[in-house]
Amino acid sequence: MTTSVASRASTRTRRRTVETSTGWKRYRARTFYGFISPWLLGFVLLTLFPLGYALWLSLTNYDGLTGRYHYVGARNYTDILNDHDALHALTRTGIYTAITVPAGIILGLALAVLVNRPIRGRPAFRAFLYLPAVVPIVGSALCFKLLFNSDFGMLNNILGWFGISSIDWLADPTVFWVMVAMTLWGVGSTMIISLSGLQGIPQELQEAARVDGANAWQVFRRITLPLLSPIILFEVITGVIFAVQAFIPALLLSVQSASTTVTSVPQSNYLYMIHVYAQYFAYGRFGYASALLWVLFALILILTLIIFKATAGAVFYESGPDEQVARRREQSR
Amino acid sequence: MSIQTRSAPRQIATYAVLIIVSVIFLIPLLWLLSIAFKNAGELASSSWLPHALRWSNFHDAVTLIPFGRYVATSILLSVVQATLATLSSAMVGFGFARLRARGKRPLFLIVIATLMLPQIVTLIPTYLIFARVHLIYTYWPWVLWGLAGSAFLIFLFRQVFTNMPMDLEDAAIIDGCGYFRIFATIFLPLAKAVLVTGFILSFTAAWGDFIAPSLFLSQDQTTLAVGLSNGYQTSAGTPLNNALAAGAVLYILPILLLFVIAQRAFIGGFITSGLK
Repeated sequence: MTTSVASRASTRTRRRTVETSTGWKRYRARTFYGFISPWLLGFVLLTLFPLGYALWLSLTNYDGLTGRYHYVGARNYTDILNDHDALHALTRTGIYTAITVPAGIILGLALAVLVNRPIRGRPAFRAFLYLPAVVPIVGSALCFKLLFNSDFGMLNNILGWFGISSIDWLADPTVFWVMVAMTLWGVGSTMIISLSGLQGIPQELQEAARVDGANAWQVFRRITLPLLSPIILFEVITGVIFAVQAFIPALLLSVQSASTTVTSVPQSNYLYMIHVYAQYFAYGRFGYASALLWVLFALILILTLIIFKATAGAVFYESGPDEQVARRREQSR
Repeated sequence: MSIQTRSAPRQIATYAVLIIVSVIFLIPLLWLLSIAFKNAGELASSSWLPHALRWSNFHDAVTLIPFGRYVATSILLSVVQATLATLSSAMVGFGFARLRARGKRPLFLIVIATLMLPQIVTLIPTYLIFARVHLIYTYWPWVLWGLAGSAFLIFLFRQVFTNMPMDLEDAAIIDGCGYFRIFATIFLPLAKAVLVTGFILSFTAAWGDFIAPSLFLSQDQTTLAVGLSNGYQTSAGTPLNNALAAGAVLYILPILLLFVIAQRAFIGGFITSGLK
């Protein structure tokens, strides 16, 4: 036992002598870049370059067909201000985001609290609630189209018992709520994240508060929620990014044949990205569409920054073990 | 004692809510399954369950559209992208975990930042570029996306490799072993569980992806996701909803089975994405 520790220590010192040589350092740096090169190349070619290309296109009148196009300055961006469809689409996306993000987080947290309780069949409940989150988007859209179908959907079937004639749920304005329901159906992923946060909260804290006479709601409000706040912040940011760029549910819910056209999306589901997509692929206004795309990108950056700033005081970060050790060392010095 | 009596009604309420919500969550899938087994006449009837199991719907589902070809494409693209993305991300993650060089910190911050990047913002311009260099209507984009790795998996692998003991590489370095061999022969085999998680997560993502195949591939070389979204019709253009439901069941089932078998990988992946 002691010998192995000693030999391990000598290996470490011998390694250290190898490591301090400059040749070794250079080898290691080169190797680092070798190892990360697949990602680095991918990042430059598949992220940076496309973003830059879109920025360049947004300053031109490119239509995707004729090879001749030229620089038009910021005209595409000023055109957005007069584009009523774009503003309508932005409003729809705003409403969709303002509903699905808070609803998803609250529902996810509520379900996480329930499946965190010591009950029988807990793994089964967790699996059932999470299951829809793994269903591919084309599958969930088909499920909801069949569920809300005006001729043979389940909802109209139930309404039929009460003599209510069938409603076309997949048309304006109700199709918007079908899309919201479909989004919230996948709340399992948020639930799992909240659940992992709940499991990370030490039981003693909650028990101590209960002993001191706090009721369940007070414990949740004063202890659980503050300790969960970093995770909730994460859910808000990823939720907003996800919702603002959403358009595939709207596309898949709207038409029998999704590839045919984006122009048949009902007004209430005309999300911002649907508008962008239509400008690109239905009208071939590549320059203008690229400007719309960059506005979305900028909007997401700004929203993320605003959320970070606005919550700076409200989010509670428990210091990790490293920081605690460091602080203790600082104090003992 | 007082805690016992107080928690009994709460226990019942918990069960009641969970059972109701679970049933509501399962209804869309059960309705799909029911339609997949009904016949066209039963669709409009008020009965919720099929009178007999019409397996012929599944026969229609795989014969009325080029189902086999769609499945083959879906499997090919998903396996290629998932394999490449997992291995490439493992390699990049190892670099960030175990090697030191100038610029490592800012580069890793970029990896984290790309996790937040909306994918559609880069996907459409990528399509425009690939159209110019004749990479659309080929399967090459999936190879390239795979090789570039996934920011999330890179992050996952970095965590795992960072937490492995130093002793692992010390001896190998003394013996004059290069880092690539250390990675391939020592570290990679130890990360088997994460490799499986990574493969499953990226396979599922590629299998479910709708927008990339609908943009980058033509109708006759596309994946099952896009093929299904086009629906089933008779030659007269009437939609065949029973066949469509059966096709959707066949499309969803492999992912649900994968979820049942490897639940831990799915949930573990999601949790890690949430924590850091």
